[in-house]
Amino acid sequence: MSSMLACTGAYAEVNLSGFASINAGKVLSGDGVPQFDVPPTFLADYPIVSAYKEEWDFDPESLFGVQISADLSHGISATAQVVARGANEWDPEFEWAYISYELNDEFTIQAGKKRLPLFYYSDFYDVGYAYVWMRAPADNYTWQIFNYTGLNVLYSKDIGDWSVVANLYTGKEDDKDNKLLGDFFFGGSETREIWKDIFGGVINLSKDWFEARFTIMEYTNERYIDGERVMWDGKDHRDGTFYGGAFNFDLGDWFVLTEMSRLDLDDNYDTRMVTFGYRLNELTPFIAYSEFDQDEDGGEEHNTTSIGLRWDFHSSAVFKVQYDKIEDKSFDLAVAGDSRALSFGVDVVF
Amino acid sequence: MKLFKKLFIASVTVTTFSCFAEVSVIVNSSNGDTINQKLIKQIYLGKAKSFPSGNKITVLTLNDDAKGTDLFRQNALNKSNSQYKSYWAKRAFTGKGTPPKELSNANEMINAVKSDAGAIGFVDSSAVTGDVKVVATF
Repeated sequence: MSSMLACTGAYAEVNLSGFASINAGKVLSGDGVPQFDVPPTFLADYPIVSAYKEEWDFDPESLFGVQISADLSHGISATAQVVARGANEWDPEFEWAYISYELNDEFTIQAGKKRLPLFYYSDFYDVGYAYVWMRAPADNYTWQIFNYTGLNVLYSKDIGDWSVVANLYTGKEDDKDNKLLGDFFFGGSETREIWKDIFGGVINLSKDWFEARFTIMEYTNERYIDGERVMWDGKDHRDGTFYGGAFNFDLGDWFVLTEMSRLDLDDNYDTRMVTFGYRLNELTPFIAYSEFDQDEDGGEEHNTTSIGLRWDFHSSAVFKVQYDKIEDKSFDLAVAGDSRALSFGVDVVF
Repeated sequence: MKLFKKLFIASVTVTTFSCFAEVSVIVNSSNGDTINQKLIKQIYLGKAKSFPSGNKITVLTLNDDAKGTDLFRQNALNKSNSQYKSYWAKRAFTGKGTPPKELSNANEMINAVKSDAGAIGFVDSSAVTGDVKVVATF
């Protein structure tokens, strides 16, 4: 990534950088969900609702992102990231917009709109270049809220061989027309999804070959469907707690990525994933398995087995291809049914 | 036979040359800090922002195609080009840091280090001049 020096004004040094992915995919075979009139579909990711059908399609996962960052000196900077997605008719939207203040070498305070850091890959979900798969495993990244607006305190320090990065955050997200809930779960009804009183923390410990990340977050959920407030057991809100852990092992040529999480809302919703990869010069073949399991009879339950290849054919661009086999075990809460899908694409950073 | 000998010498010369390819990490001549390999790694991975003396660091890198860049990333940071760029993409696009500023050749690097007391950079060792101070070689 070259941080291009766009202009050096009297007040700020402005840096422009970005990332892009052009991906295509299709369902090779699938059952769909006959009881909900869903045709054979591969739901490649939940938050953005990237859905492939039986014809080749470039729109669901292609995106273009630009980050502009102004360094105002004395530790203050302002950053915005605008992302245009094929899945949203390429309408550019601000995904990140925040001001940062570096108090000292260890502490930074940030305020504004940021990604909700639930999972290991949440923060850089859009930057395909930075990970091995076509996309972070869909069964893990199932939650409908992707961003929050609020405050974040970031701490980082190296202690002996270990690097410690931790953050504490608080904020709120009010999504007036949530795509995942509205389009996929409530049959086209306009769904307003509110996550408020969000309080969360993340700690990441890493050394050369090992990395562990732990996260916890609490929030209060409110929801309106077609303008009508949703009640849960006679109450107009419900409280949730999210816990997660990720452990990555980098053994030179081999690497292993794992992550698990639980959302304790009305029921427990559990996710797990494991990936094995091998680096062979510019080629990185991998296999992956992920699953989602709602702890209730007849609850939502699905898993994905994937095999793929990443090829670093250029210093700033990679080619990826991936085959996914999805098993959707639920009936009442079926999402997109069983499917087998192929996808490929190019990711760049600049 | 003669041709064979020439080819042999030519290939030995090429091999020898690549064996001795080396990068030098350079700082401003006025810099009195002790800068070891561990600190260099921390600086280029965005984990150390000040020298031991407390002076702010300006981190400079050569671009991907410049002579010495791959060697530096591999030997000093233990990262391939793709690992290095993934690492910085991850940090830069998630508000955790700003990657080293890129310069396109050794001349620019020497001049930038010469004119900034807090600068650190690297060049192919053959390009080092008396204007800067070498603190490590890889």
